[in-house]
This record gives sequence, structure tokens and C-alpha cells, in this order.
Amino acid sequence: MIRLLCLVAVLVLACASPAAAHNVSAGADLRIAQTIAGTELTVVIKGTARVPGPLRIGVIAFQPVAGLPVELKVRSVEDGRTVTGVARAATRDPRYTELRVERTGPHELTLRAGGEVAVVPFRVLVEHGSGAEFLIYGGFFVAGLLLVGGLLTGALSRPGRAVLLGGGAAAGVTVAVMVIVFEPMVPAGPPDGAPPVVTTQAGGRPFVQARMETVPERPAAGEEFTLRVDLVDGSTGRPVDDLAIHHEALAHVIVTSEDGRYFRHVHPLRTAPGRLEVRLRADRAGAYVAHAELEREDSGGQLLMGRFSVGGQGPESSGEGSRAAEDGEDGPGADAGDGSGAQPDAAGGGGAAPRLQPAVPVAGRPATVELDAPGSVRPWLGMGGHLIVRSRDGSFLGHVHEMGSGGSRLRFTFTFPQGGRYLAWAQYAVDDRIVTVPFTVDVTASESPR
Amino acid sequence: MRRIVIAVALVAAAAVIFIVGRGLGAEPLRVSSTGARYAVTVVVDRPTTGRVSVEVQVTSGDADTVAVSAVMPDMGHSTPELTARETAPGRFVADGELFPMSGAWEVSIRLDGPAGEEVLTVNALVTG
Repeated sequence: MIRLLCLVAVLVLACASPAAAHNVSAGADLRIAQTIAGTELTVVIKGTARVPGPLRIGVIAFQPVAGLPVELKVRSVEDGRTVTGVARAATRDPRYTELRVERTGPHELTLRAGGEVAVVPFRVLVEHGSGAEFLIYGGFFVAGLLLVGGLLTGALSRPGRAVLLGGGAAAGVTVAVMVIVFEPMVPAGPPDGAPPVVTTQAGGRPFVQARMETVPERPAAGEEFTLRVDLVDGSTGRPVDDLAIHHEALAHVIVTSEDGRYFRHVHPLRTAPGRLEVRLRADRAGAYVAHAELEREDSGGQLLMGRFSVGGQGPESSGEGSRAAEDGEDGPGADAGDGSGAQPDAAGGGGAAPRLQPAVPVAGRPATVELDAPGSVRPWLGMGGHLIVRSRDGSFLGHVHEMGSGGSRLRFTFTFPQGGRYLAWAQYAVDDRIVTVPFTVDVTASESPR
Repeated sequence: MRRIVIAVALVAAAAVIFIVGRGLGAEPLRVSSTGARYAVTVVVDRPTTGRVSVEVQVTSGDADTVAVSAVMPDMGHSTPELTARETAPGRFVADGELFPMSGAWEVSIRLDGPAGEEVLTVNALVTG
């Protein structure tokens, strides 16, 4: 029983660390997806239990780019001390590169690969003992010692001393039990390196305004361009540089062509405070929609949207255009792209077509999408699968997560808000690639008015 | 017996005070930040609402002008810049009202000099 109580107390202590976003502490890895050097990587930072101590950094690849070198630089913002190293991307079980940090507090991780640079701010936290364990175990130790002493003294018929020692034992037990009982009620001190926080949190930070633009301003079809998202705080007008890691990324950016034939789910790089950038290439001219899903620290998720257009007639565009003309209707596709790893014919190559339940979903009622992956699915962005749903005009976007059915079967449940045709892309990761399955969903309007 | 009870109570009270007191107690702010061009140590002896004196020690880089402003990220409050005066080489002091209310603030230090402009940010907990 006492052991159980001790265990509970220790567990409560262990769980009391702040749930903030970019914190790296022992046992709490930081995982950040980055679209860098034309591929999808997840950078894992494993924390250290003490400083000075080693931070272990590994890079997991989701596309066949194993061995891709990623230059790492960890810099303490407080004293400017910098350590560098190189990590090589691996599909499974990456080899962790150890970089020694000298202190807790704010740091910056600079990633460099394929001529692109990202700077990820994070904090190194180290839990310090609260003193409670010392009191608990010390109290019991003293109590045990004195009880034995008391028994022996009692046996040697010296009642006065026996009572004294028994009393001491009672004091030890009292201290230990009081600490066990009251410690969980007392907020644990913040770990070393944590920013100052107030206990009464406001109900979330102000909204974010996004300014989306492409560099160059009007990219040509087939040409590489940068999609830039500048984030501005709606209340202060300052750059928003407090993004939380939301489903293992600073931001999830979905770029689709208006007709849905082009699809990318990418994770832009933070290149400056409040600035996110990702390199893309679109093979066809036309209008494009970008949705950015992100979350500020201590706040809820937000969805930002922007539009841009791709001009010019690339050499491949005529062929794509004729295919679209043949098909006659808009429909989602997943053009081959390094960014998403999508296969051109993903629906055929990536397994059977998705099954809908009911076959024609009704607006306002939950519908289920099921599909079978060709092999075992590995978690990507912390989930087994992702379903992106877009209305035809691009004004609505849904991001659904797989419900954890396990194995190679993926199941998503979503309530389509209105009737009409939706463009949908199911995404999951298998051994060395990310599979994107495009399909359409026709939703009938709800019969009973809401 | 009574003495023992009192002793037990005292020990228990001391333990509770030790645990509770650990998290309390505001301290003067002294925090450093290093950027690409400059490095500073910011000292605020009494980080409270009302008039404060913010000392910025430029420990690296050659800054001509230093200005200090604050943002409360949770509430979306921001304050106008206080221009600091150079009291000694590399030592700047800004006086004025920087924190309209208590809570967690981010203090931005904007430095300008031959190397260019840079903004460094440090966290501050303001009480009282």
C-alpha cells in the first residue's frame, strides 16, 4: 500500500511538467516534421536528464532518401554557445547524433539540407528534485530505524526510551505520509530552463493573420517556387513566433489546385520569426489554394487560407490539360511530387479504392471511410492515417485522423457539413513512402432542415 | 508524550512550509540573450507594474541605440517602446512604464548599430 502511495506520488511529480510545445526534457521527445530538400523528414530531439549533457537528435525519413545528410546546429540563445553535427536520415531507427548542451533554457536548432535552412526554437528543460522523495523515503527510513530501536529497547525493559523512540518513529511516519498526501496538491516547481508562467491562463492567445505569397510572385508551371506564409498577431501586429508543435509540425500546409488534381501536404520551414517557407513545384498553370493548419502556444488550432496562381505553359502542361479535358469533371488527383511522395496513380498503386459507409453520405451525419493499405502502416505525424477533405471551391477544409483500427485497415469518420461534391485525399505511410489516395465524395443534403 | 506530539506537529509543519515555499518568491530579473549580431543581459531589479528601470548590458556587439518594449502573449497586449539612454559604454537604461499589468511578459530589446538592427527577446514574470 505504501509502495503504491509512493508510486502515485512519484508519478504525479513526473507528470507535472508543463505541457508547452517546444520543450525538450528527458522522456519527452520533440518531433518535428519538415519538408526539406524536397522530402518529408521528421526530426526527433531526445532530451537530457541533466546539464551539461547530451541532446540526441535523429532524422526519420518517410521517402526513399535514406542516408540524406542533415546538418545540425544547436545554439543556446542565452550564451550563444554553438555545437554542430550531422544526422543521416533513416527510414527506421535512426542513428542519433549526440550534441552536448551546457545549460537549460532557450535554444535554437538549425537544420540544413539540400540548400535549405530551418531554425527551430526549443527549450531544454531538466527536472530538478522537489525534495519530496527525500522527505518520504527519509521519513520512512527514520521511522523504521526508530521502531526497531524502540522494540529492542522495550524488550530490554526500558519503557521510557522505548516510548521516546516510538514517538520518533511516529514523527517519521507522519512526515512521510503528510508529504505523500499533500505533495500532489502542491504544484510542482517548474523544471530548470522553463519560461516564467502564470497559473491563471487566459483563454487562448489572439488570432493569427496570414499573408501568403509565392516567390517569385507568379511562378511558371514546372518551375520551383517558394510558398511563404508570414504570420502576424491580430492584437499586437507583431510576428507570431510562438507556434506549438501541432501533430508533430509547426504547421501543416495543404496546397491544392482549384480543380483538385494537384495535392501536397507539406510542413514548411521556419526561416525567420513569424515566417514559414516551403519549396514547391506545380506542373500546371492555374489557380491554387493553400490551407495552413497551426496552433499557437496555450491556444487552440487555427486554419488559415490563401490563394495564388501559377502562370505560363510548362512543357508538360498541355498533356495534363488534355487529360483534364477528357475527364470532363473536376476531381482530386495527386500529381507525382517529391513534396508529398504521392504516386501519380496512387489509387491504383496504393491499394483498393476507399469504401464509404453509407455509400452516399448525408450531410450532418457521421460517415465512415475505410481503406486497406497494401502493407503495414507506420505512424506518420503521430497518426496511422490522415484524411484531407476539401469542398470544390476550396472554402472548406477538413483534416481527419485515423481512428486506430490497427493493422493495414484505415478507418476515418467525418460528418460532412453540407451536401455537394467533396474532394478527398487519404494519406498514410508505409515502409519507405507516403501513399496518397485521391477520391471524391458526393454528399446528399440533409432532409430535415437544421 | 505531549512533547512528542508537539515535535511531530512542528516537523510536519516545517515539511509543508518547505514544499509550499519552494515555488514562491519573486526575484529580480536577470536574463541573457544572444543573437547573431548582439548579446545582451537584461536586468530589472523590481519587475512590477508601474515605473520600472530596465538595464540592458550589451555584452557582445557595438550598439548605438537600444529600445525596449513588451508584449503579453497570452492577452495580446503590447506597449510602446522606451528608448534607453547609454549610461556607460555598453550599458543602457530605460525608465518608464513597461508592464501595465502583472503576468508573463516578453521583453523585446531592439538594438541598432553599425552591424545592423536586431531584436532580442527575453521572458519576464511581473508580479504586483
